[in-house]
Amino acid sequence: MSLKNVYVAKTLDEVLNLLNQYGCESKLIAGGTDVIIQLREKEISPKVLVDISNLSEINFIDESEDKITIGACTTFTTIAESSILKDKLKGLVQSAESVGSPQIRNAATIGGNICNASMAADIVPPLLALDAEVLIESKAGKRRILLDHFLMGKGKVDIKPEEIVTAITFNKPKNREALGFGKLGLRKALAIARISTAIYLSLDEENTCRKIRIANGAVGFRGMREKEVENIFIGKQLTEDVINMGIEKLREELNQRLAGRSSAEFKTTAIAGIFKKALLETANNCKE
Amino acid sequence: MKKKGVGIGSTFYGTGYGNGFPDVSRAKAVLKEDGKVAVHVGATEVGQGSKTIMSQMAAEVMSIPLNDIIFICEDTKNMPDSGTAAASRQTYNTGNAIKLACEDLRKKVIENAFKELKLNSSVGLTLKNGEIYLKTLPSKNISLKELALCLLKNKELPLIGEGSFTAQTIEMDEETGQGAPYWPYTFNVYGVIVEVDTETGLIDIIKAVCAQDVGKAINPEMIEGQMDGGFAMGLGYSIYEDLGLKEGKMKNKNFTNYLIPTALDVPELEKFIIEDPESTGPFGAKGIGEPVMLGVAPAVLNAIYDAVGVRITQVPVTPDRLLRALKEERRE
Ligand SMILES: Cc1cc2nc3c(=O)[nH]c(=O)nc-3n(C[C@H](O)[C@H](O)[C@H](O)COP(=O)(O)OP(=O)(O)OC[C@H]3O[C@@H](n4cnc5c(N)ncnc54)[C@H](O)[C@@H]3O)c2cc1C
Repeated sequence: MSLKNVYVAKTLDEVLNLLNQYGCESKLIAGGTDVIIQLREKEISPKVLVDISNLSEINFIDESEDKITIGACTTFTTIAESSILKDKLKGLVQSAESVGSPQIRNAATIGGNICNASMAADIVPPLLALDAEVLIESKAGKRRILLDHFLMGKGKVDIKPEEIVTAITFNKPKNREALGFGKLGLRKALAIARISTAIYLSLDEENTCRKIRIANGAVGFRGMREKEVENIFIGKQLTEDVINMGIEKLREELNQRLAGRSSAEFKTTAIAGIFKKALLETANNCKE
Repeated sequence: MKKKGVGIGSTFYGTGYGNGFPDVSRAKAVLKEDGKVAVHVGATEVGQGSKTIMSQMAAEVMSIPLNDIIFICEDTKNMPDSGTAAASRQTYNTGNAIKLACEDLRKKVIENAFKELKLNSSVGLTLKNGEIYLKTLPSKNISLKELALCLLKNKELPLIGEGSFTAQTIEMDEETGQGAPYWPYTFNVYGVIVEVDTETGLIDIIKAVCAQDVGKAINPEMIEGQMDGGFAMGLGYSIYEDLGLKEGKMKNKNFTNYLIPTALDVPELEKFIIEDPESTGPFGAKGIGEPVMLGVAPAVLNAIYDAVGVRITQVPVTPDRLLRALKEERRE
């Protein structure tokens, strides 16, 4: 199949109609920072491209009493500069800032990052740690699904050809709660994560961990929650000993998951420093 | 834990083909009808700035503005061979050939001028700021432009100067190891401060200093540019650029995996140009193209040793290699 048409959509309705009409012969293109490469490498060969990069309807960051919602076409530059997301959600900002280079961040979108479903997608661990939901629309209607369920595997997400992701939504951090992020890339810009980690933490006045959600990237076939590690922390004070126990557990998990890979030794060693730094930063941020 | 270390890497490098191999550069300098001088030379501009500095050299000998030099290179129909833009040899070798060609043209210009000026000889005639004049009586003068017009009328153009320079090197005796395989040598030293993260294996270059012997700086700003570029390349070689050779095959065949430093990875480089004119060099200049990158890796590896006490003997020092080396060290 060769590319016949590119539709530059102005409204969501237009997109839903096009997707409905062309189904699996169509491909959404947002920032295009993954799609263009896949086209060139002939990994995909859609008949029509539906360009949603100008779709202002799904380019927004919204704040309500207890929720924050980010439109799928919001770029990483917008996320990095958002006044809504700073402070308690610093982890989200840091992950957006760590993507590629300024040029990439100006084009690349949060929706594209999630739907491309790379194991190293930088925005995925923070959103998993936030227990975010994905909002999806098609001509037939709307649905919502936990990101953790939406991500199915390397390059695979739970979406039908007629559907589009319109937004991502999650609960706002409450008092003494915060989101942190850490990434190991091999250089300071344009570095694909070798390891990324995100921690959502809720601490009480005694420094005891009320709630914690940990998600890592680039250490499995998709970004994933580390529930076994979370269990180590819950109900305990964040002492040096507890942190070290958590790190030991994390290493065990990675060791199993990465067994047989050439990167296993490096990643199970290096995760300690990245995780610990992110955890301590998050804990500090909870108190502020 | 983050650990700091300081390292120095010092190198000396013989420029040119060396070891007795004929290293020849040729050049032609031609007086044009409008008094401008065309330099025909086989030096290839590969971004190192040869066009600029070689034009400067010609302008200096001919004592005319840089804009009056027409530099013709990279067209084999119109130029003599000046060898490759390799071995950091163009400034020294081809610079010398251009200097010789321009000196030859300058002599011919003066000889023609004394005839035009109807003097007894060329003694005391000099060429300065585009004018040929008698030092003892400057009102006896003719500009290059006027001279060119006269020569044109007399059908004596083009006036051509030629130069050829062969570097002096002597093959090493295989038995004794004696000889003089290179001349000249260029000296360089780098100092770096690194910060090694012992938990992730990441290396951060915090500060870097380069002192570069240049003989004589023909164009100081361009030498600084070469130092910045050489440092970035040397840095890539030290800690990033990994072909991933496996049984002779490259694993990292694209810039996703073969990492070169980005602007954020290259710290400010403090630069010192050391001038000690080389007596056989054009205006004392020597080549610095390759020398500016050689000292980086030894300096970085020494700094890593200073920081964490581990001698790494393989580049690039990627985080996984460094962590492995640290682990082995702990085991011993
Ligand atoms: C030089 C370079 C550096 C990079 N560095 C990083 C990095 O550091 N970290 C990182 O995580 N990624 C990086 N990437 C990958 C890429 O930039 C990100 O994955 C980016 O978020 C993709 O977003 P996009 O808008 O460009 O997506 P596109 O390329 O437009 O689309 C990607 C996929 O998502 C689908 N899609 C897009 N929007 C929607 C939607 N609303 N609903 C349903 N499906 C949709 C498309 O059909 C396609 O399958 C890099 C890419 C390049 C080229």
